[in-house]
Amino acid sequence: MAELANLASRPNRAEVARRPFIRRETLIALLFVLPGLALAILFKLVPLLRGIWLSFLETRGFEDPTFAGLANYRTMLSDPSVHDSFRNALIAFATLPVWIILPLVLAFLLFQKTPGWKFFRAAFFLPYIIAPIVVGIMFRQILAPDGPLNAVLRAIGLAPLAIEWLNGPTSALLALTAVALWSFFGLGVLTYLSGLSTVSEEVVEAAKLDGARFWQLLVYIIMPLLKSVIGYWAVLCTSGILIWMFPLIYALTKGGPGTATVLPEFLVFTTTFQFLDRGLGAAIGMALFVFVALVSAFVVRRMYIEGSQRK
Amino acid sequence: MTRPASSQKAIVSSMRIMLTRWIVTGILVILAVVTLYPLIFTVINSMKTRAAYSADPLGFFTDLTFDNYIETFQRMQVPRLLLNSLITTAGGLVLSTVAALFIAYAVTKLKMRGGNYIFLFIIAMLVIPSQVIIYPLYETILDLGFGGTYQGLILAYAAFGLPLGTYLLSAYFRAIPDELIEAARLDGAGDIRILFSILLPISTPAIAALSILNFVWMWNDLLLPLVIMGGSDKKTLMVGVALLSGQYDVSIPLISAGLIIALAPVIVVYMLFQRQILSGAIAGAVR
Repeated sequence: MAELANLASRPNRAEVARRPFIRRETLIALLFVLPGLALAILFKLVPLLRGIWLSFLETRGFEDPTFAGLANYRTMLSDPSVHDSFRNALIAFATLPVWIILPLVLAFLLFQKTPGWKFFRAAFFLPYIIAPIVVGIMFRQILAPDGPLNAVLRAIGLAPLAIEWLNGPTSALLALTAVALWSFFGLGVLTYLSGLSTVSEEVVEAAKLDGARFWQLLVYIIMPLLKSVIGYWAVLCTSGILIWMFPLIYALTKGGPGTATVLPEFLVFTTTFQFLDRGLGAAIGMALFVFVALVSAFVVRRMYIEGSQRK
Repeated sequence: MTRPASSQKAIVSSMRIMLTRWIVTGILVILAVVTLYPLIFTVINSMKTRAAYSADPLGFFTDLTFDNYIETFQRMQVPRLLLNSLITTAGGLVLSTVAALFIAYAVTKLKMRGGNYIFLFIIAMLVIPSQVIIYPLYETILDLGFGGTYQGLILAYAAFGLPLGTYLLSAYFRAIPDELIEAARLDGAGDIRILFSILLPISTPAIAALSILNFVWMWNDLLLPLVIMGGSDKKTLMVGVALLSGQYDVSIPLISAGLIIALAPVIVVYMLFQRQILSGAIAGAVR
């Protein structure tokens, strides 16, 4: 119950602040940060601490939990479905180069004011604002055995490729990743475009006059200039694959066939709410948290450097 | 001799430029079709009768019908769910923005000791996604007595929107000269007035970008409302769509109509604020 003690100590700090030797400005500043701090502590820090505690408990259905030490973590390490979920995540990570390069190439094309670039920019970003659950249900129809995708494949003479996309283990994971990319790449295009807006057009023009081809321009001029944007986008995609796939999995495959499309975040949900093993669910959540925290710490570090008070 | 050769070269190179331009446009068009087609497909399906759909699932509609929309409206209780989504999204958006405004003001303009640490603490919460703490979060909301209530979801949304809001507004406030605030203080303005009648109007672009970002994710979120509201009558539109699609007697035209209803508000926002969204303010904001 450490978190309750933590909660109880909060008002005390405000009381301390009320002592007269504290300046009025400090008191106001404390009052101002209080609502936000309360939100962050109550709905993020406290649940995290409770999650850590819960991962050490043995929970069976609706019975009272008992302390079980590292039992959940041991179960987790020997649980094949946990292995599968992290292996699936690794396979999804193998597609990261596409996630990083495709929006970059598109952004560079739009940056050069290709005819109709404004329309393309608007079209490419549209999928990002559509709810992933809606995207998932939409693509269940698109990817259906008799759906439009297979109709197109048959029409262009690729009939052997017209398979039951969501029913084969490899194709289902591939389809899931592709749908995620569909809904996500537009944000990448915009991110790169805002990075490119700091690149002077003269640099590009000069390189063109020197006879640089598109790919040479991209690899030798643009990519070095956008190194930090590419890094940021790569971090975003990585955390996206780790924690933004839940609605897509929920709508497209529910994790199937077998465990072929179960990613760790989905396993946390099913372990907790379907198999009612909250302790194990919390343990898997903590394992996932370590990965997510490592990845997103880069973003936080950068935000802190940019946003903190310089002295 | 050199002139014709060089002009020929120029023709060849200009033809090459033309060709690349066509290929590039072709690729972009194909990609645009790939991004737009699923939407068009869903709109068409939503206006087909059940019979027309099973006769020709991929074709254009033969006779347009709005029956699916009418039926979905009743089955999904669309007005109620729409209201739920509106209340929770608006509540979360306003609460997280106001909390972020106060923190940003305190750490950038009040010269508070340890302000940097508070700023770091708030943005560090970004590393805790809802997915990994979903059960303990649900438990905490239950303990506070907010299970299945608007307040529960609104508070969770506000907490999860806070780090980005604090970061964006702090960055914006920092660029506003302190002299402006000193002058207002000399005129006898208090901190609340300085924050809300001087800084707030200046920061409209930042608040607009933040609000659009928050609106899109809060409106579209599935996991938090699914867990906090469950199947209650306070569930949001996205939960409604997810549950509707799970029912086996639902036809594809019907679910398509549900999808279009669920995404229409976001599309409207996108069209209204297209300029702000696409100008890079938002991608730049996240960066």
